Amino acid sequence: MAALAHSDDTPGVLDVHSLLRTIRNGLIVVVALSLIVVILTAFLRPLIASVKVDESVTTTLAQLVILVLPYIAYIAAGSAVRDQLSDHPLRAVLTALLATLVLFVVISIGHFVFHLGPFVPTSSLEMTFTEAEGGALVESLVPGGVAEEAGVQVGDLITAVRRDPVTSGTLSALIARSAEDSPFRLRIVRGGEETQLTVRTVLAGNDDLGKLLPGLVVALIVTAVAIFWPGQWTPYVILLAILLPLLIGYFWLIIATFSYRTEGLIPLDGQGNVGGWTLNNWNFLFGADISGLNVSIWQITLNSLIIAVAMMVIVLLVSSMAGYALSRMNFAGRRAFLSFTLVLHGFPAVTLLIPIFFVMSYLGKVPLVGEFIGFNKPVGISLVMVAFELPLGVWLMKGFFDNIPWDIERSALIDGASRWRTYWEILLPQIRPGILALGIFAFIGGWNAFLIPQTYSTGAGTINLPVFLRQLINETAPVNWNQVAAVGMFQLIPVFIIFIFAQEYLLNIYAGGTKGSS
Amino acid sequence: MEVKIENLKKQFGQVIGVKDLDLNVRDGEFVALLGPSGCGKTTTLLMLAGIYKPTDGTIRFGDRVVNQVQPRDRNIGMVFQSYALYPHMTVFGNISYPLKLKKVPKQEQMERVERVANTMGIGGLLDRRPGQLSGGQQQRVALGRALVKEPDILLFDEPLSNLDARLRLTMRSEIKQLQNRLGITAIYVTHDQVEAMTMADRIAVMNQGVLQAFDTPEDLYDRPKTLFVAGFVGNPPMNFADVSVMAEHGGFTARNESIRLQVPAERGQKAAAAGKVRMGIRPEDIHVVDEGDAVTAEVVIVEPLGRDAMLDVRFGSDQFLVLADPQKHIRAGDQVKLHFDMDSVQFFDLQSERSLLWN
Amino acid sequence: MTQPTTTLDDQFTAAESRTRRSRKKSLSSNMAAYGFLAPAGFLVITFFLVPVVIIFYLSMTNLSTSNFTTDLSAMQFVGLENFRILFNDQFAAKIFFNTVFYVLVTLSLFNVTLALIVSLLSTHIERRAGFAFRAIWILPRITAATVYIMLWRRLAVEAPYGIINQVNTLLGQTTYNYLDARPWEFVIVVNGFIGVSFGMIIFTSAIESIPKDLLNASLVDGSTILQRIRYVILPLLRWPLLFVVTYQTLSLLTSFEQILLLTDGGPGLYATEVWSLTAYHRALSNYFGNAQWGYGSAFAVVLVIIGVVLAVIYMRVFRFNELVAEPKIEVL
Ligand SMILES: Nc1ncnc2c1ncn2[C@@H]1O[C@H](COP(=O)(O)OP(=O)(O)O)[C@@H](O)[C@H]1O
Ligand SMILES: [Mg+2]
Repeated sequence: MAALAHSDDTPGVLDVHSLLRTIRNGLIVVVALSLIVVILTAFLRPLIASVKVDESVTTTLAQLVILVLPYIAYIAAGSAVRDQLSDHPLRAVLTALLATLVLFVVISIGHFVFHLGPFVPTSSLEMTFTEAEGGALVESLVPGGVAEEAGVQVGDLITAVRRDPVTSGTLSALIARSAEDSPFRLRIVRGGEETQLTVRTVLAGNDDLGKLLPGLVVALIVTAVAIFWPGQWTPYVILLAILLPLLIGYFWLIIATFSYRTEGLIPLDGQGNVGGWTLNNWNFLFGADISGLNVSIWQITLNSLIIAVAMMVIVLLVSSMAGYALSRMNFAGRRAFLSFTLVLHGFPAVTLLIPIFFVMSYLGKVPLVGEFIGFNKPVGISLVMVAFELPLGVWLMKGFFDNIPWDIERSALIDGASRWRTYWEILLPQIRPGILALGIFAFIGGWNAFLIPQTYSTGAGTINLPVFLRQLINETAPVNWNQVAAVGMFQLIPVFIIFIFAQEYLLNIYAGGTKGSS
Repeated sequence: MEVKIENLKKQFGQVIGVKDLDLNVRDGEFVALLGPSGCGKTTTLLMLAGIYKPTDGTIRFGDRVVNQVQPRDRNIGMVFQSYALYPHMTVFGNISYPLKLKKVPKQEQMERVERVANTMGIGGLLDRRPGQLSGGQQQRVALGRALVKEPDILLFDEPLSNLDARLRLTMRSEIKQLQNRLGITAIYVTHDQVEAMTMADRIAVMNQGVLQAFDTPEDLYDRPKTLFVAGFVGNPPMNFADVSVMAEHGGFTARNESIRLQVPAERGQKAAAAGKVRMGIRPEDIHVVDEGDAVTAEVVIVEPLGRDAMLDVRFGSDQFLVLADPQKHIRAGDQVKLHFDMDSVQFFDLQSERSLLWN
Repeated sequence: MTQPTTTLDDQFTAAESRTRRSRKKSLSSNMAAYGFLAPAGFLVITFFLVPVVIIFYLSMTNLSTSNFTTDLSAMQFVGLENFRILFNDQFAAKIFFNTVFYVLVTLSLFNVTLALIVSLLSTHIERRAGFAFRAIWILPRITAATVYIMLWRRLAVEAPYGIINQVNTLLGQTTYNYLDARPWEFVIVVNGFIGVSFGMIIFTSAIESIPKDLLNASLVDGSTILQRIRYVILPLLRWPLLFVVTYQTLSLLTSFEQILLLTDGGPGLYATEVWSLTAYHRALSNYFGNAQWGYGSAFAVVLVIIGVVLAVIYMRVFRFNELVAEPKIEVL
C-alpha cells in the first residue's frame, strides 16, 4: 500500500527508493552465497580434510556457487521490479538494469580481488604468439617464465604439438584446456631449422580488464530475461534441469543400443563419421555370441525370470498371510510380533550377508530340500531376498487388511467360513491394489537383483541378467559398450513397461509403504 | 430356538461393553435391543454370534451352552447395518456362499438361492455385483444370505439405519412379516424406538451396558419401571418435575412451588409415602385450555410438527414440552393455560430412580 | 459391583477358573494365528535371527581363507581381538569418516533438500505434470544397479567417450576422467538420485494433505509463494522431515551396491570405501585372495548394532501408536 502511494508521488523516470531496494535484493544474494562459499572452503573443507577424507566435494560445490552467484544476483534484481512492470514499465526496466550495473561492478571487484570468474588463473606457457604461415609465431616471452627457461625465443614458429599441427587459435585452446603442469612438446622452426622443446604449463594470473565486457552484456541480458520471464515456467525449468543428467543417461542408452559406437551422445560409424546406426548389437537375441562369451541369453533371462517370479509369489503369499494374522487375529504375543516386524522393517538386512553365506551352505546340506534352497540355487537365492522384503511386505499387507470393514469378515465367519477361507476367499480379493503393488515391487526387486545373486551364485547355471552385465563389463576386454548397452536395455525393457503402466503403484510403494503414516 | 443369556459380561480392557446381562428370548419371539449409541447392543449381538468371547456369563441356545462354539457351528443368520456383502461376488455368489461352505450340492444351491431371492424380490438381480445395487436391494441380498441357510436365530444390527425414511417403513413391515411367517427367533438391535415399538414382541432397553427393562412395548410405554426407560421411550419425551405428593381433602395432590395437581388415588397412594418424588407426564397428556382449573405457563419456543405444534413452556423452575393444536396459533412469549390429564402420571423415587408404581 | 454375599475367596476362585478357561481356549485360537505366521517366521528365523547370532560369533573368530571352514565348532575363537584391531586400524578410522561424510552429504543435499525442492515444485504446477515429474524420479530405483551405474559411468568417463567431457571439449575446458578426479561427487550424486524419491513421496503426500483452506487463507493474506512455503508448509513438514532423516540415514549407512559397482571403494586406497562395503570386501569379495571372515564380521557387527538401535528408535518414535488397534474379531 505504502509503496503504491509513494510511487504516485514521484512520477519521474527513476525512483531512488526502488533502485536502492533492487540493489539491496541483489546484494543480499551476493552476500548470502559468498557466505556459503566461505563456509565451504574456509570451514568445511579443512574440517573434512582433518579427518583424512579425500574429497573435492566442498571445492566443487564452492565453484558451483561462485559460478552461479552473479546470475542469481541479476535474476534477483530483475525479479524485484516485476510488480512495478504494469504501472511504470520503462522505469522498472531502467531500475533493474541500473541495479544490475551496480551489482556487476561489485561482483567484478570481488572477482578481481579473489582471482575468480574472468580473473581466474589459467594455464599458460608464459608467452604470446600470433597467427603466422604454418603455425603460431612467438611474439614475446615473460622474463624468467617457463617458455624462456625451456629455451623458446621470440620469432620462433611453433608448427605442432607432438605430431598435431597447430595454429595460434588451436594452440591457445590446447593450453587453456590443459591442467596445471602438463607437458607441451612443441615442434619449433627457428631460422629454417626444426627443433623440439618441452614446456610445462603453469597457472598464471589473469588481469585483463577487457574480459569484463562480454560479462556485462550477459548480465544485462540475464536481468532483462528475469524481468519479462513468465514465472509459471520456472518450476518446470528447474525440475527439468535437475533431471537432466538422468534423462541424458537414458538417452545415451537408447542411442548406444542402435549404433556402432558413440562418443559422448554422438553415434559414430567405424570411420568416425556421424551415423553408424545398426541393429547388430541386438544379434545376441538370436543366439549370436556376446563379446565372445559363449552363453545363452535366454538361459540367463530364464534365471532372472525364475528369481523374479519366485520372489513375487513367495513374498505375496508369506506377507499376506502374516499381515492377515497381525491385522485381524487375536493371539498371545501379537503386540510383540508387531513391534518385532517394525524393528525388522528398519533393520539393515544387507549387514547379514556374511552369516547368510553360512546359513545357505548349511541349508544346502539338508537332504532333499537342500537341492532347492541351498547355496547357488535360484530358489534359495530368492528366499534370501524374500526374507529381506518381508518386513516391508508384512507391514504393507497389514495396512491393507486394516482397511477392510470388520463386518465383512464377521459375516463370512457367521456364514460358516474358517479363518483360512475368509483370508483366501473373502479378504484377499479385496486387497487387489495392495497385492498388485507388492507383487510389482517384488518382481522388479527380483528382476533387478544383483548383490545377492552375485554373492551367492557361482556357476553360469544360476547367473541372472544384472550379474551377467557385470561380468560382461569386468571380464571382456576391450568392452564393447554398445553391446553391453543393448543387453542392459534388454534387461530394462520389462521394467520400463511396468513403469509405464503402474507408476501410481510404484510411487506409493517406494516410500516403503509408509505413505500417510506421518 | 430359545436363547438364554445369563450374567453376560464383556470388557474391552478397561471399557465395559456389557455388564451382567440376563435375557431370555422365547422360541419364535422377536426381541428388540433398544438403547442409545454405544450402550453395548452390538457387543451383545456379536457375543451371540460368537464373534466376541464373553468375559463372563453363559449363552444358551436351547439347552446347549454355546460359549465355546464357533460362529459357523451356531447356525445363525446375521444382517449388518453396512450390509457386509462380499463386493467381489455376484448376488448369487453372496447368497449361495453359506451353502457352498456347507457343501450343499450345486443343484440344491441354485434352487434354494432362487427361492430365497424370489421371496426377497431380488430374483432378477442374481448376476449383479453389490456395487451395482441400491441400498434397499443390498439389504435384501444381505437378508437373503442370512435366511438361505435356514438359521435357528436371526440377528439384526441396525439393518435399516442406512436406508431412506420411506424405504425403512416398507422394509420394517417386510422383515416383521417374514419373521412371523418363518417363525425364526429374531434379535433386532436398533436405536430407533419407533422401529422397536412397532416390530418387537418384547423390547430390551439398555443403557451403558446395563439392561434397564425387558418388557412388551405397551408396558414400556405405559408402565415404565425406571426413570431412564420413562425418559427414553416416547417421542417427544416425558416431562419431569420434582414434587411432593400429599394426602389432602380425602384425595392426593402433587405440588411444588409452581404447580398443584390432583392425583388419582391409586397412584397417589403409592407416591405419598416417599416424600419428594419425581413426577413424569407425557406431552400428549397435557392440554392447552382456554379456562378452568389450570396452570399458567409462558411459551418459550413453538415448533410446528405438522399435525401438532410442540410448545416448550415454562412455569416456575420447570420446563415442559406440550402438544397443542396448531389452529390455536400460539406464539413464543404467549401465556397459556395448561390442563394436566393425571390418569397416566408416573412417579419415581429420586434415589433409586425406580418407579414407585410398577415395582 | 460385588454382591455382599460373595466372599473374597469366592471371587478369587471364580477369577482363577476364568483365566484358566481362557488360557486353554486361547491356545487353540493361537494355533491358527501361528499357522498364518509360520512361513514368515521360518524365513525371519533363518535369514535374520540365526544370521545375527552367527555374525556375532564369527566376529570373535579369526576365520579367513587359510583356515576356512563352515563348521562353527572348528573355528578358532579369539574373543574381542578383531574389535581391538579394528579400533587401532588407521584405515578403519578413515573408512569411518568416509561413511560419516558420505551419509551426511548425500542425506542433506539429496535425500532431504532436493527431495523437498522436487516435491514443493511438483505440487505447485499442473497436477498431471507434477505427477509425471515425480514418476520419472522412481526410474533410478527400478533400474537394475548394473544398468544404472553404466549410465553414470558414461557421463563420467574420459574424452572422447564421456558425455560431460564432450561438453568440456566443446567449451574448451580441461577434460579428465571424473571417476578418478571427482569420485566422491559421483558416489554422492549417483546415490542421491536414488534417494530423492523416498523423501519426495513422503513430502508430497504431506504437502497434499495440508488443507486447501489453509493455503487459500494465506493466499488471501497476500503472501507470496516463498512466504507460503516458509510459514505454512515447512512447519507442517517437521514430522515427515524427521522421519525421512532417520529412515534414510539407515538406508545410506547400509547400501553399498552402487558404490561397489561405481568405484569399488577407489580410486586409490579406500578413497570412497564405506563401512558396509568394507565388511563385504573383507569377507565376500576376495580380490586379494585372502578373505578375512572374522574381521569382516566385526565390521558388520558394528553396523548391526547401529542398525538395531536406529530401528528401535525409529519404531518408538514413529509407529508405535499404530499398534494399539486391537482386532475386532476374537473367534478361533
Ligand atoms: N472391539 C472393541 N474394542 C474396544 N471397545 C469396544 C469394542 N467394541 C465395542 N467397544 C466399546 O463398547 C461399548 C459398546 O459398544 P457397542 O456395543 O458397539 O455399542 P452400540 O452398538 O450399542 O452402539 C462402546 O463404549 C464401545 O466403544
Ligand atoms: Mg452398534
